Amino acid sequence: MHGWCGKILRVNLSSGAVSNEPLDPRTARDYIGARGFGIHYLAREVNPTCDPLGPENKIIMAAGPLTGTAAPTGARYVVTTKSPLTGAITCSNSGGSFPAELKRSGYDAIILEGVSPQPVYLFIADDRAELRPADHLWGRSVPEADEALRAETDPKAKVAVIGPAGERLVLFAAIMNDRDRAAGRAGVGAVMGSKRLKAVVVRGTGEVRLADPQAFKAVNTKYRENFKAKTKDNPPALRTHGTAITSVGTQAHGVFPTRNFQEGMFEGWEAIGGEELTRRFLVRPKPCHSCPIACGRVTRVPDGPYQGEGEGPEYETVYSLGSNCGVDDLAALTKANYLCNELGMDTISMGCTIACAMELVEKGHLAESEVGRPLRWGDGQALVELTRMTALREGFGDVLAGGSQRLAARCGHPELAMTAKGLDFAGYDPRGVQGLGLNYATSPIGGSHMRGDTAYFELLGVPHPVDPLTWEDKPPVVVKWQDLFAVIDAVGLCVFFSVRYLVEQNLMVKPVGITELLNAATGAGYTPEELERAGERIFNAERLFLVAAGFGRAQDALPPRMTQEPMPSGPAKGMVCRLEEMLVPYYRLRGWTPEGVPTAAKLRELGLG
Amino acid sequence: MHVTVRAFANLQDYAPGRRTRFELELPDGATVADVLAELRVPPRVEAVLLVNGRRAAPGTAVSAGDEITLFPPMEGG
Repeated sequence: MHGWCGKILRVNLSSGAVSNEPLDPRTARDYIGARGFGIHYLAREVNPTCDPLGPENKIIMAAGPLTGTAAPTGARYVVTTKSPLTGAITCSNSGGSFPAELKRSGYDAIILEGVSPQPVYLFIADDRAELRPADHLWGRSVPEADEALRAETDPKAKVAVIGPAGERLVLFAAIMNDRDRAAGRAGVGAVMGSKRLKAVVVRGTGEVRLADPQAFKAVNTKYRENFKAKTKDNPPALRTHGTAITSVGTQAHGVFPTRNFQEGMFEGWEAIGGEELTRRFLVRPKPCHSCPIACGRVTRVPDGPYQGEGEGPEYETVYSLGSNCGVDDLAALTKANYLCNELGMDTISMGCTIACAMELVEKGHLAESEVGRPLRWGDGQALVELTRMTALREGFGDVLAGGSQRLAARCGHPELAMTAKGLDFAGYDPRGVQGLGLNYATSPIGGSHMRGDTAYFELLGVPHPVDPLTWEDKPPVVVKWQDLFAVIDAVGLCVFFSVRYLVEQNLMVKPVGITELLNAATGAGYTPEELERAGERIFNAERLFLVAAGFGRAQDALPPRMTQEPMPSGPAKGMVCRLEEMLVPYYRLRGWTPEGVPTAAKLRELGLG
Repeated sequence: MHVTVRAFANLQDYAPGRRTRFELELPDGATVADVLAELRVPPRVEAVLLVNGRRAAPGTAVSAGDEITLFPPMEGG
């Protein structure tokens, strides 16, 4: 095979058995890779009603056919499992250089099953794979473990590892790779912790074999030149300021979530924005493998109580640990971000859980005596301290480790958790970004923006600006974008480059450039339509898993604040998210029943029946 | 008439003194295109245009006291 390695590694942590399996060519063609392989194996091998932290659950780490190639942003892999935070599927996506190294070792995917009796790590060196004891690493932070693992295996190895939060089953623990990149969302790190697997360490010395190296080079050069030409007069804001610059768009539209989504504009937004981050803390931009954008930020807080070094914050962190907690202290939220990276947690859910706690205190539903400290909006010190306590499950951190949904329910006010399917929202208030509201409600993993990010055209002008406040026009576009994102996640590219430079620049986003790259790499001769169909297949396969896990129309929902409490001020003043009006046509366009279940005809059409 | 302009990222390059917030004096009946012309933003430079936080186009009329926001299209966040 080309593009694909053609080989899957299966690791049974209960027995210690490690074995290779061939990649079925039909699976490769129909599910492409990464996110597609994740749902393919999860659906076949995992009972949707299983305990996410029990031995029945599995983790599928999978790269795409373009991962590890020279394709622009061919850096991504996806971790698929049943989420302990939500009970739904999760397919967390990360970049850096670990995924490319996995491909260079000769594997498309790793299936991790069972539970190890003792802490272990998996070491892969090309075609040799073995489990090794990790007792000496248990309890170590992400940077400590990363360094120790490379020292005892190969200094050039790449490491995906859990921190103390994953070991302690914090329900939004992340799997960190290359120290500061995160497969962050919905608790994949807790599932790894439940299996007593500290890390996956990979050293690969091979190359991804290409079907037509000359054609691949030509296509790659064409799209890189297009990027250069376009960015000559329009320097990518993401390179200059990182994703934190996005608050310019969300604040201006009045959808920058503030104080647990009570408001959509934050008075301190400029103090925590991308331009301020560049001015105060930026050391250098840091690209993932083969990325021409380089949105990653190496940063340093040079002095003061929050002194430190690391990567971030990203926009989502600026929102979750910043505006959403009313915190305008960039140093404090950056420090909390460093702690999340070092201890291995999702910054979005960490910030949103603290924000939820702050509102519960404000409304009198949670006593500060129970928290063990004052907890008011804007308290940067509380942010840093509670982040550390959560990762270690110390004191009230043990409660926060269950996430916002459980916290709010515990206090008798589940409506104050700003989640969909139990997953905390990304940094866009859906009352003022209607398409994204439909996305949060129907995304297979819950409140994520990365399963069809309509903020691109509703807020950020790509491919062109569309009014974020209209809802009648959104359902067909949301369907199209959700399927496109499944394709991007499956081939192993990053959304940031793909959406602007590898698809036709209109709302129908035909994946022409992605198809060209994929065909040159694999020789598989896809048409753009076949790829779109594969994206739809992946999305529907994920939906089937959800349905079997007990999710349906009732869970395709948003908190009442989003659908009943009008936005209090700003450009979206008076708006609620018109979810019900969008959901009915959305189901129809999807070929799902009014209860949100894929019809037999749709499943047959996609080869899932 | 006076309007307030907010310019971000590379659009700041066209702001007086590279400020992110400044006042502009425009003739009555001016449009967003007049704001771009006044700032000498070349046509090849792309910008998302908002008036008071609502989507606007070059032909959108501006009124005294309006806030006009300019930022580049972005690859994501």
